[in-house]
Amino acid sequence: MEKPQLRVLLVEDNPNDRDLILRELTKGEFEITSEVAQTAEEFRLRVKTNCPDVVLADYNLGQWRGTEALDILREEGLDIPLILVSGVLGDVTAVECIKRGVTDYVLKDSLARLSVALRGALKDKRTREERQRAQESLAQKVEELARSNRDLEQFAYVASHDLQEPLRMVAAYTQLLGDRYRGKLDDQADKYIGYAVDGAARMQSLIQDLLAFSRVGRQQTELKNTDCNVIVSQAIRDLQAAIAESVAVINCEPLPSVQANESQLKQVFQNLIGNAIKFRGPETPVIHVSAQRQDSVWLFTVADNGIGISPEYAENIFTIFTRLHTRTEYPGNGIGLAICKKIIERHGGKIESLPREGGGSIFRFTLPAARIAEGQESG
Amino acid sequence: MNPNETDILLVEDSQDDADLALHALRREHLANNIFIARDGEEALDFLLCRGPFSERSFDHPPKLVLLDLKLPKVDGIEVLRQLKDDARTKSIPVIVLTSSKEERDLVRSYDLGANSYIQKPVDFEQFRETVKTVGLYWIVVNRLPPPGLARRSAEQGTS
Amino acid sequence: MTVKTAEILLVDDNPADRDLTIEALSQSLWPSNVSTAIDGADAMTFLRREGKYNKATRPNLVLLDLNLPRKDGRSVLAEMKSNAALRRIPVVIFSTSQAPLDVERCYDLGANSYVSKPSTLQDWMTAVKLLKEFWIGCACLPREEN
Repeated sequence: MEKPQLRVLLVEDNPNDRDLILRELTKGEFEITSEVAQTAEEFRLRVKTNCPDVVLADYNLGQWRGTEALDILREEGLDIPLILVSGVLGDVTAVECIKRGVTDYVLKDSLARLSVALRGALKDKRTREERQRAQESLAQKVEELARSNRDLEQFAYVASHDLQEPLRMVAAYTQLLGDRYRGKLDDQADKYIGYAVDGAARMQSLIQDLLAFSRVGRQQTELKNTDCNVIVSQAIRDLQAAIAESVAVINCEPLPSVQANESQLKQVFQNLIGNAIKFRGPETPVIHVSAQRQDSVWLFTVADNGIGISPEYAENIFTIFTRLHTRTEYPGNGIGLAICKKIIERHGGKIESLPREGGGSIFRFTLPAARIAEGQESG
Repeated sequence: MNPNETDILLVEDSQDDADLALHALRREHLANNIFIARDGEEALDFLLCRGPFSERSFDHPPKLVLLDLKLPKVDGIEVLRQLKDDARTKSIPVIVLTSSKEERDLVRSYDLGANSYIQKPVDFEQFRETVKTVGLYWIVVNRLPPPGLARRSAEQGTS
Repeated sequence: MTVKTAEILLVDDNPADRDLTIEALSQSLWPSNVSTAIDGADAMTFLRREGKYNKATRPNLVLLDLNLPRKDGRSVLAEMKSNAALRRIPVVIFSTSQAPLDVERCYDLGANSYVSKPSTLQDWMTAVKLLKEFWIGCACLPREEN
């Protein structure tokens, strides 16, 4: 079997030692091509021109030390393993050398170990190179993915934006047709027009939701110190009609201030509280909003006593356009939670849903705690 | 009340008319924060953020100005002229609300850039209806100019 | 001083939108005549009473879309507001654009009001009716001088 090739640069000024080492090398498992350098200048020149696979350097080189070869390698930006070959090397010195970056050292009276050292050095180098390649490949893929995501979001936004106007025309005129000719054509016509009107209205609603969803990605997430108590009050105010209709009770514990985009965070609370009201059970909806500090994050909780969510859907519900009920049971396109998730993740947090003991759902999300003076945070 | 949170600036020297307007606006739940300026000078100081109102900011203009024409110190036409001449305030919607029946006032007002012109009804019920329509149209249907943009574009010289 | 029958000029290049607005305008109590222009150049010709429009009545109110072929709405607005005879005519921008920059720009050019075209039929009808209720039922519009 052919021996694998190995190019060695030997830094040795003593001819006897040189021969000794070379002889040992030829006995080993590699097919050796070797060169010799004695001075630092010669070393620098040869290592740059011939790019050896490994450097074997004597520690004591008269005018200079083998470890200086290491400095030269570093200066030239060359990642070549350096194995020190030495007569006597105290343990302390040996450890020092390894700390400085010498790959291994072999004592001159145990040259048999040279093969092992070489093998080890090369293996390390190969591993390092593979890891480097893998990292570069990963970085590239991440960049590609990011670009692809941006393109997709841009597309979703432009498409839904441009679809609005023709959609408006279809929706408005099918309705006008319906208004004008209801009962004047035949039943079939009324039915068909009804389907068209419903379809158009659904499309409008979907497009608007899609726009809202893609807008989250487009907005600058300008983070400001945001008082969550104020935000939740605003959300509740905007939900007045639904609250009045359901006679919902909303209990809100004191909440902290966090670094957030105000309008987006308000949307999160509004969606979660709105859902809690919408998906209510037979009892009066009671909704509880609270927050707890956990290390470097705030954990917000919105709990309700509504119809709850089967655990098997707990993750799925955060996917865009996922609905668990028919439109006749509960209205909506299934985008509220997808928007919440997107917003929370853009803020560096996580959101999840859990079943509540006694019935209902618990929605929890984290937000990084503001790094402002502790005194400003309430709760 | 924070003058930077004014919804409507009512410029009216007559106490009766001011009360009427205030009453109607409140009844229709159109505005929470209404500031009343009693003469043209006060109105200009308020909107140009000067004098006693130097704490006010051009980034928080009132949503609407209801402007009577017959005012002491500085009359309504002059107030209108100055407001519409100044890049920082020209976008604020100004509705002339006056008892004047002069055709001249109507034309002058629109020429100077008044957004609209309304003759004050004498009957309270009619006045209420008018105020309701004004509110519904200007604050709900109409898109108000985005605050802050005017000042910024004036500073950048892009307006 | 208020006009008997309002003369409205509707400037919109989309025939479907035009018809929708005309439909909405006709449903309101206040009497009005609606003339239409299909682009900005057409609108200016009408307003200046040139060519085929030399017998036209000057409108008391203009509903103006922004994105028009040949001459866009912003140019029409600018021209109207810098013309001594035309500047007094109230112009209500009626456009699909909701961009704050567009809104600000129009007010800056002298637009009297700005209404975004609503997305549903019902909202459209309501908006136009309120528009008419305010501008024709409530406000005083400049009468055409001879």
